[in-house]
Amino acid sequence: MGSSIRQEQKQNTRKKIIDTAYRLFSERGFSVATSVIAKEAGVAHGSIFAHFPTLNDLLSSLLSDFGNRMGSSLHLLAKNCVGVEDFLEGHLDVLEEYEPFYTRFISEKNRLPDEAKAAFAAIQSTAAFHLSRVLEREAEKGTVKKLPIHLLFNTWLGLVHYYLLNREFFADPGESVIKRYRAELLSAYLDLIKRESEE
Amino acid sequence: MKTCIACGMPMEKPSDFAANDPNKDYCVHCARPDGEMQSFEEKKENLTKFIVRTQGFDESAASEVAESMMRKLPAWKKYFDQEKDAL
Repeated sequence: MGSSIRQEQKQNTRKKIIDTAYRLFSERGFSVATSVIAKEAGVAHGSIFAHFPTLNDLLSSLLSDFGNRMGSSLHLLAKNCVGVEDFLEGHLDVLEEYEPFYTRFISEKNRLPDEAKAAFAAIQSTAAFHLSRVLEREAEKGTVKKLPIHLLFNTWLGLVHYYLLNREFFADPGESVIKRYRAELLSAYLDLIKRESEE
Repeated sequence: MKTCIACGMPMEKPSDFAANDPNKDYCVHCARPDGEMQSFEEKKENLTKFIVRTQGFDESAASEVAESMMRKLPAWKKYFDQEKDAL
């Protein structure tokens, strides 16, 4: 009994550290010191290292959690979508939900541990998997231009990432870039890829 | 909800499962035509090809990504453990 309570407390502390780190990284980027994370989480500094021996361990664990959560959200949205427009709307919903952390993540990815690269690729592979399925269906119906799937995916992601990575030019601090531009981005992209119906 | 032990995809409908069989632990994309699960090498090759086709990555980068995804999945644990033991 005693040990199961201790186990639960340990899990709670671990969760508190991860949640606080997630919030602080979203707000300030990944260079936040562990002492700040400990203070904000209300745990002793040493407690962070009891759970995560190095900062990389904390980052790896957090990024892997994040990748899983975003992956599940993408799977969930794909379940209910019929066409490409539906899927892209849902993709923007997911990105908006995770926007502050995701933006930090894609802009600082190359300076983070290898786990970041793996989490990034896993998230994009899930999105690409579902988008490729809806695009193939649309291509069969002749509603989308016949372009290689990877270019259709990369063009969409490149467009959305451009706005996220340069957010200071597109939105006020604290404002969601996705929310502000979603309608415009979506309709422009659909215009680019849709095939004109033959008169 | 079950997730595929070989690729991590959530499986809900019978058609998500290998051979339409909800008792299976792996999905339709990870099965061979005869319903058996693909081997480590087959899965890695298919995943790599899929990444190249849908994201346009360089083949060796795609192969690394495929391996890092497989590393997290229960079906392939023993391959990576063996690799670790061999070191």
